[in-house]
Amino acid sequence: MKGFLKWVIQFIVALISILLISGAPLLIAGFQKGEFLWREYFEALKFHVVTIMNISELSIEYSTGRVFKEVAVFPKIIEYMTYSLQLLFLALGAAILIALLGTFITMMFKERARSRVKLIFYFLESLPDILIITLAQLVVVIIFQKTGILVSKIAVMGDERIYWLPVLCLMILPMIQLYRLSMITFETEERQSYVELAKSLGFSKSFILFMHIFRNAIISVFFQSKKTMWFMLSNLFILELMFNIPGIMLFMYENISGVLFLITVLSFFVPIFILYSIGEWYFIRRLRRGEAV
Amino acid sequence: MKSVWRQPLFILGFGIISFFLVGSFLFEWIFGSIPKQTFFIEENGRAVEAPPISPYWKHPLGTDEFGYDMFAKIMIGAKYTILGAMAVAALRMFIAVPLGYVIGTYLQRQRSWINGIIDPIHYVPMTIFAVLLLSPVLWMPMEGFTTTVFERVVIQVVIMAVITVPIVASLIGNEANLLYQQEYILAARTLGASRRRIIIRHLVPQMREKMAVLYGQQVVESLIVFAHLGLLKLFLGGTLVSYDPMFADPPKSIAYEWAGLFGNSFRYLQGAPWLPLSPAISFALVILAIAAMIEGYTRATNGQVNIKRRKKMKYVSEDVVEWNQQQLKEKLVLLQSDKNK
Repeated sequence: MKGFLKWVIQFIVALISILLISGAPLLIAGFQKGEFLWREYFEALKFHVVTIMNISELSIEYSTGRVFKEVAVFPKIIEYMTYSLQLLFLALGAAILIALLGTFITMMFKERARSRVKLIFYFLESLPDILIITLAQLVVVIIFQKTGILVSKIAVMGDERIYWLPVLCLMILPMIQLYRLSMITFETEERQSYVELAKSLGFSKSFILFMHIFRNAIISVFFQSKKTMWFMLSNLFILELMFNIPGIMLFMYENISGVLFLITVLSFFVPIFILYSIGEWYFIRRLRRGEAV
Repeated sequence: MKSVWRQPLFILGFGIISFFLVGSFLFEWIFGSIPKQTFFIEENGRAVEAPPISPYWKHPLGTDEFGYDMFAKIMIGAKYTILGAMAVAALRMFIAVPLGYVIGTYLQRQRSWINGIIDPIHYVPMTIFAVLLLSPVLWMPMEGFTTTVFERVVIQVVIMAVITVPIVASLIGNEANLLYQQEYILAARTLGASRRRIIIRHLVPQMREKMAVLYGQQVVESLIVFAHLGLLKLFLGGTLVSYDPMFADPPKSIAYEWAGLFGNSFRYLQGAPWLPLSPAISFALVILAIAAMIEGYTRATNGQVNIKRRKKMKYVSEDVVEWNQQQLKEKLVLLQSDKNK
């Protein structure tokens, strides 16, 4: 019960700090003019809270030619959100799966070969996402020009949805990061004495890897994967822009305002925070039980 | 510590970076700050190709849509982008390192809730955060900029440095706190060393190498954010926007910095792929160079380079090993049954 209360406090603190950030552009605009607009800042914060409370009435001014139209945001924005979240979690799932599979395969190698593979992936990790997306789109274009087969659309028109190419682009870098991370934890785990014992008992390498090392290493991989998540959010933004994907991030960018920023960040923050909290709760419980015996 | 200059990876990275930086200044000094312009290529008195001209020996990276040489643009712009990213990272470290040490030593009790406040920043994508804060500074308003280019560059560097200070500071704080629990620091404290002295005498020298690596990572991160901002048409030093209702020019970057080169040419990807690709590859090259330098540096400081192949034991036959294993299993079974009794 005490843990739950602490969780609630943490959640509320997080919400407040995101709210404080959402008003920050006002302060910077004021700073440029040499003023400190704290009163306007708090007015804006109050406005943000009120709008979030009545989100169904929020509307955005569209200018079509000379006519300004007020368009309600509410039903449409859910669609944007779900599309973005779908892409994010599909990519995350694929990245985790492939990274773990890759780790298993490389762990079966000898140590010398392993260090070479690691060095290659170290350099692959530092490729910028813009280059990967650009190259992916270019490859699709070249394939289309050479063979006439459109592997996937490289830009979204209207309300259609494309999945596999954006997910692939979004997946590559987190996958490499997670792979390197899990390689490091698997290798430190491999030096533990229980692994030596299991080896001396004659268990096969793959059995030890799967039944012993994996179970222990996955916990620390989970705790360190938060940073990958953060990195993926930035990537998702760029991805939506480059593929013209009608997701929440592109929508926010096209109508940039404090309120929309708040809604966008919250729409990612709430599911991810809850997911991580559940994961932490589960793993810590498992860890404790392991210690007690 | 072995010298970093003996590490091929470090030298390679250093070479690439200095090629771009020194080359950039030399290029501007020799050829001037305006790239060569080619209007069309003639063959037997007939124009065969108009800008954007695809890469050939005279223009190794082709030209842009107005006939300016891409290679020259890349070279001239290199210094702004690289130095900008280095400045952001340096300022960030300059603020975050002392803060981190203070969190790790003086504020140990408060550390858990400080981390609790900083944690949600992990859910605000860095690029979106930067866009939100930098749009009012960098996007030219209708009536023109009220600030000078230099002021805008300074404001941009400061904002980009400050937004991730909390995360870097909490990282350093956690690291410093881990060291603070070590026995030799406990010994120093028992002998009466003040916290300030522990920081200066023990923590700073211990963490010097980690800081160098962290600095490299920060440079990479700021380079990537620059590239992202470029795609969003927010360029280093401000974006010139033409509000002419009839013949509006596309948003322009003030210098030829790479983010602007990439952001403005991305839509030519299908027609003239060398336009977005050359700045994107330059970004990748610089980032790879920094990664190589970090790797070379850690190898030099850790001293471990090669893992030698283990010699196989000659005199123990397979039978003996198997016998040993069997014995061990039997003993373990005995132990188990003892326990169960």
